[in-house]
Amino acid sequence: MRKLTCITCPNGCALMAEQTDGEIRVSGNRCSRGVDFAVSELTHPMRTISGTMRTVFPELPVAPVRVSAEIPKERIFDVMHEISRMEIKTRMRRGDVVIANVLGLGADVIVTGDMMSSKKP
Amino acid sequence: MTVYDVLVIGGGPGGLAAAISAKKNGADVLLLEREARLGGILKQCIHDGFGLLRFGEKLSGPEYAGRFEDEFHSRSIAYEVQTFVTAILKKKDGFLVRAVNRQGVQEYRTKTLILATGCRERTAKQVAIHGTRPAGIFTAGCAQHFVNLMGQMPAKRCVILGSGDIGLIMARRLTLEGAKVLGVYEVKPEPSGLTRNLIQCLEDYDIPLYLSRTVTRVFGTERLTGVETMRVDEEMRPIPGTKERISCDTLILSVGLIPENEIAEELGVPLDPKTKGPVCDNRFMTMTEGVFSCGNAMHVNDLVDYVSESGEIAGAAAAAYTRADRRLISLKTDDSMLYLVPQRLDLSGGCGGLTLYFRSRESLTEGTLLISVDGREVFRKNYRNLKPPEMERLTLDTSGFGLTEQSGVRLSIVKGGDRV
Amino acid sequence: MKQKQLERKLQKKLRVRFGDAVQVSVEGRIIRVSGSLKRWEDIIEACSMCVIKQPGVHVVNDVVFSGGVRAPMRTPGFTDETLEGRRPDVLVIGGGVSGCSIARELTRWKLDVLLVEKEADLALQASGRNDGEVHPGVDLGRGTVKQQYVRKGNAMFDGICRELDVPFRRCGQYVCFADKMTLPLIRMYAWQRRTVCGVTDTQIISAKELYRREPALRPGFAFALYNPSAGCVCPYGLTIAYGENAAANGAQISLNTAVLGMEVREGRIRSVKTNRGTVHPKLVINAAGVFAEDISAMAGDRFYSIHPRRGTNSILDKKAGSLVKSIASIKLLSGNTAHTKGGGILHTVHHNLLVGPNAAETYEKENFATAQADIDEVFAKQKQTSDGLSERDIITYFTGVRAATFEEDFVIERGRRTRNLIHCAGIQSPGLTTAPAVAVDVAALAVRMLGGEGRVRKNESFQPVRRGIPQVRNLPRRERDRLIKENPDYGVIVCRCEEISRGEILDALKSPVPVFTTDGVKKRVRPGMGRCQGGFCLPLVTQIISEYVGVPAEEVKKSGPDAVISYGRKGAAYDGL
Repeated sequence: MRKLTCITCPNGCALMAEQTDGEIRVSGNRCSRGVDFAVSELTHPMRTISGTMRTVFPELPVAPVRVSAEIPKERIFDVMHEISRMEIKTRMRRGDVVIANVLGLGADVIVTGDMMSSKKP
Repeated sequence: MTVYDVLVIGGGPGGLAAAISAKKNGADVLLLEREARLGGILKQCIHDGFGLLRFGEKLSGPEYAGRFEDEFHSRSIAYEVQTFVTAILKKKDGFLVRAVNRQGVQEYRTKTLILATGCRERTAKQVAIHGTRPAGIFTAGCAQHFVNLMGQMPAKRCVILGSGDIGLIMARRLTLEGAKVLGVYEVKPEPSGLTRNLIQCLEDYDIPLYLSRTVTRVFGTERLTGVETMRVDEEMRPIPGTKERISCDTLILSVGLIPENEIAEELGVPLDPKTKGPVCDNRFMTMTEGVFSCGNAMHVNDLVDYVSESGEIAGAAAAAYTRADRRLISLKTDDSMLYLVPQRLDLSGGCGGLTLYFRSRESLTEGTLLISVDGREVFRKNYRNLKPPEMERLTLDTSGFGLTEQSGVRLSIVKGGDRV
Repeated sequence: MKQKQLERKLQKKLRVRFGDAVQVSVEGRIIRVSGSLKRWEDIIEACSMCVIKQPGVHVVNDVVFSGGVRAPMRTPGFTDETLEGRRPDVLVIGGGVSGCSIARELTRWKLDVLLVEKEADLALQASGRNDGEVHPGVDLGRGTVKQQYVRKGNAMFDGICRELDVPFRRCGQYVCFADKMTLPLIRMYAWQRRTVCGVTDTQIISAKELYRREPALRPGFAFALYNPSAGCVCPYGLTIAYGENAAANGAQISLNTAVLGMEVREGRIRSVKTNRGTVHPKLVINAAGVFAEDISAMAGDRFYSIHPRRGTNSILDKKAGSLVKSIASIKLLSGNTAHTKGGGILHTVHHNLLVGPNAAETYEKENFATAQADIDEVFAKQKQTSDGLSERDIITYFTGVRAATFEEDFVIERGRRTRNLIHCAGIQSPGLTTAPAVAVDVAALAVRMLGGEGRVRKNESFQPVRRGIPQVRNLPRRERDRLIKENPDYGVIVCRCEEISRGEILDALKSPVPVFTTDGVKKRVRPGMGRCQGGFCLPLVTQIISEYVGVPAEEVKKSGPDAVISYGRKGAAYDGL
């Protein structure tokens, strides 16, 4: 029996997950995403991660980035390392991929803010 | 001089949504933003989790703002950035807004105003932290600006005071960038931030959370060298003999947000001491005719989705505004709620949909919202897991409540579920 | 023999209180107290007991403080040779209001003036940590050096603040009395102050008149003692303005420069050692505040002692500014024993309220830490002045340490044993008020000591007028518009609480005594002084300084060289992994 708090949405349901003979039974969830979360937490916890990446543009020293899909929790620092090693050299738009399939984890690192000068023309 | 129908002050999520909504409803709109870029505080909120309610996706702050900016621009709404409002004068048919920007002192005329000025953070001095005045004491938002916008690391070994969401987010952020976060101290017996942030920002990184403990003193002459923490009693007073000195170079404060209402106050708009935002009616018009409020300037929201929603309500109402006498009744509440927004209901012009935002004073595993009119119960709703940090939102159809200007409307939360 | 008599009298007094722990000896005009005591309060008491009211006679404290360790003077953590071999005519030690005003008055003459200040900016100690009141001098008795200067200084403020472009308000001071019965007594007092002490503006006003002018004072006052000549000024603003005007007129101001020792031979200071080189001045002016005694010891001319006294003030949000429009305080007749003007509520030139200070003896000259008890004490008292006063309006608080002598008077005179030295010591309240007048006299004395007007020539190009940085937010609309059109940076607001533009911040960085720190900018043009306390603008100001100076953001400091704001580029933790 493990107590979990679902982090899928702001509701933060208090879950109880029980693992018996390879089967996981979940209670306390208000929607089906709670079951998925509990199963994932017990078998292979996944997380999303955000950060910033250095750029060559002085007025915008860093640009916001995130992973496009969840990655294994234990690989967070590896992905952070990848993000910290890189430098953005061209102006990118929201959603552009800066690292495709980062560390082969099946998620891309994408830019989450337009790097165009959003000052009025 | 052009007379705008709606002038929005603030280009963050509240202001953007308000401007879009006003424009959609046919208004001639101008938005003024004091910073160089639109997006407000979301520009520095690079973490994800925004927009789950609205878009069903976990977006980062810049992404969430970006979607609104796209729509804002696609509707060709007039706006100025790096334009700071210095004074507002009430005129016969509206307002004269004076502002400065690189071009000079500007004046704009408008029929209505939407104040979407957001909120600011409480400071170390406002929570009575004493000692020296070294570098290394930052509000969470200030530290976030350094890390996320400037790419600078303001911390190596860090203590965080206050378990508000920005504090929790910064605990994770600084950890990911290589800083050591020694702990999060919360003066209250319960955490202030969202539960999911306690899990994914603290638990995931083994950052301890100390409840009923606070920072009382700081040390160091040039850069911070340490802080003193103490346990507090139920009244949140430090307990003698519980002093503990922690050596660290950074203290980050996440001790609450205060709506920024300096402009509203200069206009004489009455504020609600509970929300510290303007007293508003169900269209989010303040008690001053033609002046609307939305987002975190109205009350501090927990989710940006609600900020946008309130902007949309205010924007549409401002676009439809005609000077007509309001028939206001008070929505009264008691100690069971930390606050309730709106505080008034306007009976004129129909009052079908009413959007309410409230926070429970106590954490309740089961609670019931009761609405009564002249002592007669007209509405009830059961809630699971009511918590002060988590704001509740509700839309109601009040047309069946039989409301008149003499009605006494009362909202309260009672402990327990169905059988209350 | 009189000396021996006095000695015996004092020794007797001391013995009753402290037994054999302390001794006293009278050596000419010095009353030296020695021995050893555990408690600092006892040392203060012992020395204070030996004070005699005789001009020029001072108590010197040689009592060993066995109960604690007095920290050595904080000095900049670096050395260089910038000043090595300099031979100025005058070396002014201390960049407070005394030192800066003296330096400015000296530049009226063709003199090579060097001012050294150990801190990273001017006015970082007592001159930057007081309430900025320009006192009327109503509380000072006759015969002190303080009293001699306070009216003269007060009267100079309109002129000097106009010349130096420093905001000054002659707002008046009300000392409020609740007890009607005291009226005859206070009437006498006011008459005495007017006619005997020269505080000619002293008046009594009725309760009705008091509440008409200050409606938010606590109800129930019977009358008030009123001095329209009282005023307020930004104390560090004035100090910096003096320093800048001195610099503009040719004085050299060297910050981060601590005096570490002196070579004194045959009654003259031959050289002065600093962390930035050894200098050889013709004349030294000791305006070192709480360290004046230390400097006098280095110069072989120690004949007074400084006992630091701390006081804490709170700054309230402008929203509370309407509570008191002038300076107001309550007079409690239960005996105001502490050596302070009692504190009060003061409406500043920036329209905040200042509440305080209190007064507490301390052995620490540089401990500026605040404590809740100080705030509580001040508020408890001042809520009796205005009951609308609320701790909720506090935006910040600060502690200053005053440099009091045991006689509670200034020491402004030439060295007694060391001939090329002037003391400007023991400067506590009302030292800000007296500074303009003291500076004129000290400069005149310096000129005499350097050979008089025959040897020292007037500086014909002296420019008394300083143009300050425009306070753009206070300009009329058209003027503001014109200024922005000339320089668009005046239209970019960086600090939203105080409405400070990028242009004003850049002006501060280009000023005659530029200080490239966030505190330096804050003191000059106020970003971060408002209710958010820099939460929004600190990163922006850091960035502006970094761009202007051309250094990475992590090299911009809050104040001193070790006041690091940022540790550098984010992501460095992953370098080399």
